[in-house]
Amino acid sequence: MKSDALRGHLDALLLATLDGGRLHGYAIIEALQRRSGGALDLPTGTVYPALRRLETAGLVTSEWSTVGGRQRRTYRLTKAGQRALAAERTAWREFTTAIEGVLGGGPWPAQA
Amino acid sequence: MAGAGVIDDYVTALDRRLRGPDPVKDDLLAEARDSLHDAAAAHLDRGLGEEDAQRRAVAEFGPVTAIAREYQGLLGLAYGARTLRSVMLVIPLAYVMWELNRRFWIGAWDDFSAPPPDWYLTVARLNDTSAWFAAGAAVLALLIGRRLARTAVSTVTLARLGGAVAVAAVGLSLLSNVAILAATAYLDVARLFLSPPVTAATVVSIAIALRLAVLARRCVVFSSV
Repeated sequence: MKSDALRGHLDALLLATLDGGRLHGYAIIEALQRRSGGALDLPTGTVYPALRRLETAGLVTSEWSTVGGRQRRTYRLTKAGQRALAAERTAWREFTTAIEGVLGGGPWPAQA
Repeated sequence: MAGAGVIDDYVTALDRRLRGPDPVKDDLLAEARDSLHDAAAAHLDRGLGEEDAQRRAVAEFGPVTAIAREYQGLLGLAYGARTLRSVMLVIPLAYVMWELNRRFWIGAWDDFSAPPPDWYLTVARLNDTSAWFAAGAAVLALLIGRRLARTAVSTVTLARLGGAVAVAAVGLSLLSNVAILAATAYLDVARLFLSPPVTAATVVSIAIALRLAVLARRCVVFSSV
């Protein structure tokens, strides 16, 4: 999948990845790739600035901690991040429902 | 962990392109290095040789010029936010300290031989309110910046906006300080030296404003990519 198409959704994807709990940066990238079946091929270096921007926005928080015997910066959702993720999911479902109605290939509703 | 040759070269190249506060830069680069080592280790586990694993990790991370632009935006934003917090706190504090100092050592300004002209009162009012305008602009910029960070506005744009507000706020403060000094000197230069403690406080206020001007200028430099 082209990275340009992903950029508009990157924040929501990162928030969704952190929904399961605290993760360090590379684990976030692996989760993104795993959950997308390898379709998300964004340059991994763009993920970290996006995470820091979400931190500036108060949607995630981060700290250095020991993971697997190594010091790593780990991220987790804040309360505001959880609310933002819920709003993103609602907006995404409405969007896909509307697009599916047009592009889905089903029968067109009969005209009045 | 994979060896460090290719990864070290990449992180060094990234480091050379970045300008900004060292603690933030070191933190960003440490995280980038960790990620590259993690990726290289994953490729080693999949059967690549060490150098190929590092090259693959670096290629996946992205071209250093493009990644440096994103990281520079973050550095500019971090510096801008720090400067705006300084403006928000230091400018009003310096004003209040100067006013308390003046009231303690000199008292009320009511011993002019003749009432000061209107233009002087205008300059005095500008000086009295500029600290609060500057602090208010910094608070607003921080709050709006936090909201904009949740949108598609890039960190580079946010950093530039923060830098512009910092320059305007510090410029207003510095201008009002210089204006009241020049106006008082023009009207009655002896008033500038009525009390050594107040004169010293004035020098300190100007020094603070100049220091903040240096910080504001760096905001502009660090947000230029």
